[in-house]
Amino acid sequence: MIRLQNIEKVYRTDTIETLALNSISLDIAKGEFLSIMGPSGCGKSTLLNIMGLLDTPSKGDIKISDQKTDHLSDKQLAQFRNQKLGFIFQSYHLINDLQVLDNVELPLLYRNTTAKERKMLATEALEKVGLSNRIKHFPTQLSGGQRQRVAIARAIVGRPEIILADEPTGNLDSAMGNEIMEILINLNRNEGTTIVMVTHDENMAHKTHRLVRLFDGSQVQ
Amino acid sequence: MIKHLFKLIWNKKKQNFLLITEIFISFLVIFGVFTSLVYYYRNYKKPMGLTYNNVWVINFQNNKQFHNTDSVTQYYATLTAMLKNMPQIKTLSYASSNIPFTSSTSTTRLIYKGQEIRPINFYRVGDNYREAFNMNLLEGRWFNHDDVVSSNRPVVINASLKESLFGNGRALGQLIDDSHDDKHVRKIKVIGVVQDVKDKGDYLPSGMAMYNRVDTSDMRYIGKLVIKVSPDADAAFESKLYKAVAGYMKEASVEIEHFSKKRESTNRSTLIPIIIFSIVAAFLIINVSLGIFGVLWYNINRRRGEIGLRRAVGASGGSVSGQLISESLILTTFSLIIGVFFAIQFPLLNVFNMAASTYVMAMFLAVAFIYLLVFLCSLYPGRQAAAIYPAVALHEE
Amino acid sequence: MLKNYLKIAIAVLRRRKFFTFISLFGISLTLTVLMVLAAFIEKVTNPVYPGDKNSRSLYIKRLTYTSKKGWINSGGSSFYFLTHYAGSLKTPVKMAIVSRSTSSNAYVNNKKIVIDIKYTNADLWNIANYQFIEGKPFTPDQINKADRVAVISERTRKEYFGDAVTVVGKYIEADNISYRVTGVIKNVPEIEEVFYANMFLPYTVAKSDYRNKDFWGDYSAILLSPSEQLVTKMRTEYEQMVTRIPIPDDMKKDFDTLHSDADTYFETFTRGFFGNADNAGYARFLFFMSLFILLFMLLPTVNLVNVNITRIMERSSEIGVRKAFGASSKTLVYQFITENIILTILGGIIGLILTVIILQVINGSGLIPDFDLSINPLVLLYSLLACLFFGLLSGVYPAWRMSRLDVVTALKAQ
Repeated sequence: MIRLQNIEKVYRTDTIETLALNSISLDIAKGEFLSIMGPSGCGKSTLLNIMGLLDTPSKGDIKISDQKTDHLSDKQLAQFRNQKLGFIFQSYHLINDLQVLDNVELPLLYRNTTAKERKMLATEALEKVGLSNRIKHFPTQLSGGQRQRVAIARAIVGRPEIILADEPTGNLDSAMGNEIMEILINLNRNEGTTIVMVTHDENMAHKTHRLVRLFDGSQVQ
Repeated sequence: MIKHLFKLIWNKKKQNFLLITEIFISFLVIFGVFTSLVYYYRNYKKPMGLTYNNVWVINFQNNKQFHNTDSVTQYYATLTAMLKNMPQIKTLSYASSNIPFTSSTSTTRLIYKGQEIRPINFYRVGDNYREAFNMNLLEGRWFNHDDVVSSNRPVVINASLKESLFGNGRALGQLIDDSHDDKHVRKIKVIGVVQDVKDKGDYLPSGMAMYNRVDTSDMRYIGKLVIKVSPDADAAFESKLYKAVAGYMKEASVEIEHFSKKRESTNRSTLIPIIIFSIVAAFLIINVSLGIFGVLWYNINRRRGEIGLRRAVGASGGSVSGQLISESLILTTFSLIIGVFFAIQFPLLNVFNMAASTYVMAMFLAVAFIYLLVFLCSLYPGRQAAAIYPAVALHEE
Repeated sequence: MLKNYLKIAIAVLRRRKFFTFISLFGISLTLTVLMVLAAFIEKVTNPVYPGDKNSRSLYIKRLTYTSKKGWINSGGSSFYFLTHYAGSLKTPVKMAIVSRSTSSNAYVNNKKIVIDIKYTNADLWNIANYQFIEGKPFTPDQINKADRVAVISERTRKEYFGDAVTVVGKYIEADNISYRVTGVIKNVPEIEEVFYANMFLPYTVAKSDYRNKDFWGDYSAILLSPSEQLVTKMRTEYEQMVTRIPIPDDMKKDFDTLHSDADTYFETFTRGFFGNADNAGYARFLFFMSLFILLFMLLPTVNLVNVNITRIMERSSEIGVRKAFGASSKTLVYQFITENIILTILGGIIGLILTVIILQVINGSGLIPDFDLSINPLVLLYSLLACLFFGLLSGVYPAWRMSRLDVVTALKAQ
């Protein structure tokens, strides 16, 4: 599903060059639930961004669904992300000025869909995360766990093949974190969605199929 | 997408309130400026209706005591004869004080078929007045000496007054009640129609006008003598003319003015206020556009997370900047709806007596101007937003 | 504490240069427009030259007849009317009677000169302090003898005599009549209607007969009271007398009331534009002026409020930290208002500089001849008040919003 080959990422400032990722090669199969762990600053978020086509590597190739991505224009990249990828963030990144339903509809806005379809799909997605009774609320009226569930609904509403989750449980207590984890596991199991998750939490990581550890930009396991 | 943006703006209405107010007030200011500009421009495009080159006026305030009408008539006939002897003077006509390019006005009203028509500029002029100014006669004739004996009072009206009185109907020979004549015996008879004359300068409308023949009883109060001179009439001639007139009218203070100069100063006094007004408005608008620019720019920074997210879920850079520009334009639309509601009252209530089309044109221009202004103000912030790096923006918090 | 505020204010202003620029631009230009306007009004309504005794003077200009039917007929006053009625008052120590100026021509070497002529009595020279460049005014004796003598303005001297050094005793011709020049005065701007002319002549040589007993005529009067305190008394005395003036027989048919007012110089303007025979229009002038200023300031104020709120939101983390470490809402409000007032005062200083430049340009352009605009202490005071008002107006609402910011969200925002 996702194939990374010799990925390198170098951040340059005027005086310093920092090697954020050093020759990472990774093959993620369709339907796999992979977690990435490592201490702060080890490059795991950078890796996730590169997989999510939010960032470009300095060197190396990425193939997603057997498709090379390095020649895509900004517009094509945007479409690609919209069709194939779903994102979940530690700090949710919900738009506070929009109601829950509108937040979930967001990815569909960048596709050709009718308002009716959008509403239907978004409601469906919210049902899957168990929030169908909160669709008219604003994000500020929800708890952290509920917010993250909205974010998951948003990530799955477009039926992406891959979901990239950046510490989805990082801001939550363990009960809520488990709840979120449960939703992700079900998603992986029932829908066959490929999930890549960055986490700090060993417990969470062990619930996934495979664990990759990074240290100082290099893969150690 | 538009609906989505509407929701976004509506839910942020408290934050956007000030911006909407600001754009709304700016619209009103711009509407005011454009209304006057459109008004002046439309007047400017109309033909002048008279020739002012080589036309002079002799102003006199005569303190001479006359014993009877005959002596007045005799006194001015002598002056006329004396001036007609000068080869440089082609024609001359006495006139009431509201000659072209002066602030003096005299208005009257007419009641025709039960309808009151006002204000009508009321001129008393001589038989050669039209010739002196080369006014354009559209129908009928100007006054002549035979009019002394006519039973009804002969008048020449301008095209605007003809329109109000008779529409497309026939004007010549029509009789109208004379509001000045209490006994209702003598009526006003239309003998000619002239083209409108912009006698308050290039930028003001002619209005409706009625020209009346100066009669002997008016001469006691007459203080203007309009003369058309030949192109070779120079300052030396003017000096000679002045000496002759002042020498004849010993009890009067006499002044000679040129209509070409009078036109310039009249135009200047019309334009100076509108220029000052426009400069002040321009300053207000620059001020506002800087403000809008600043606020939008800042808002981009505040919404980095949201923008990063939109990029992540599949918005291209172009569509993000398009979204932000559309947002400001929708915001502008809110302000303009309120603004147009107020602006539309001007033609509806007929404030300031201007043509509705002037207001409508000004409104369209003002709407276009405000949209353009906001568009320009949000262009750069929109670009900034498009340049936001989603990977960075999403990991800032 | 204040020093601390100042320090922060300056740091904030320097950090956000673009916002500071927007604010300063708006404030300074708004205040510039107001100051130029104030300078105009001040100049028009309180001429220092030659009307230096304005505060002790009252002006009688128009004579109006009204009827209950709504007819109004208005004109200047006659020489007879003014001497006969205003001249009988006890309070005034002097009374100048001057005609309105009429234009006349003179031709010198085939060049036309326009001369505005005013007829006057001798008291004008005592009430107004015309500055004589050479010679002196004509005397009461010369007036009584109806001598053809003239006081001319500097401009007319230049136009008529060229660069001649001294013209006293020379003859000048206007309206085909020669007058002997007795003095030359510094130019007076045309807007000062009562005082302006290029050529002053004795009323006894006027072409209209000053003995004519009509009430209407070409003249105005300036009444000078012995002191500022007695001006009101003088006005009341005139008001009471006017009620006793009989309406002339030829007017009785159409009119039932005669109005003639002794106004201050300021009121002669407000009456002309905003008032009528019964009302000096002073209150309406103030009302319209305030309305205009408010409307004019509305847009810059809303703009500034908007920019200010943005500045505050941008600093929400600073505010959060301050609140977390114990700053009360009140101190924060004070801090922000202080900042804003510093900003407005800074804008005011820039505005003042701009005003000086603009006034110099207007004076230099000769757009209005002999009109010398300047910033006097009163204008400066008004401007300072406008500054503070502006600063408070645009600072209070944002400050209130700022004080209500929630600490937690404020801290989270950055």
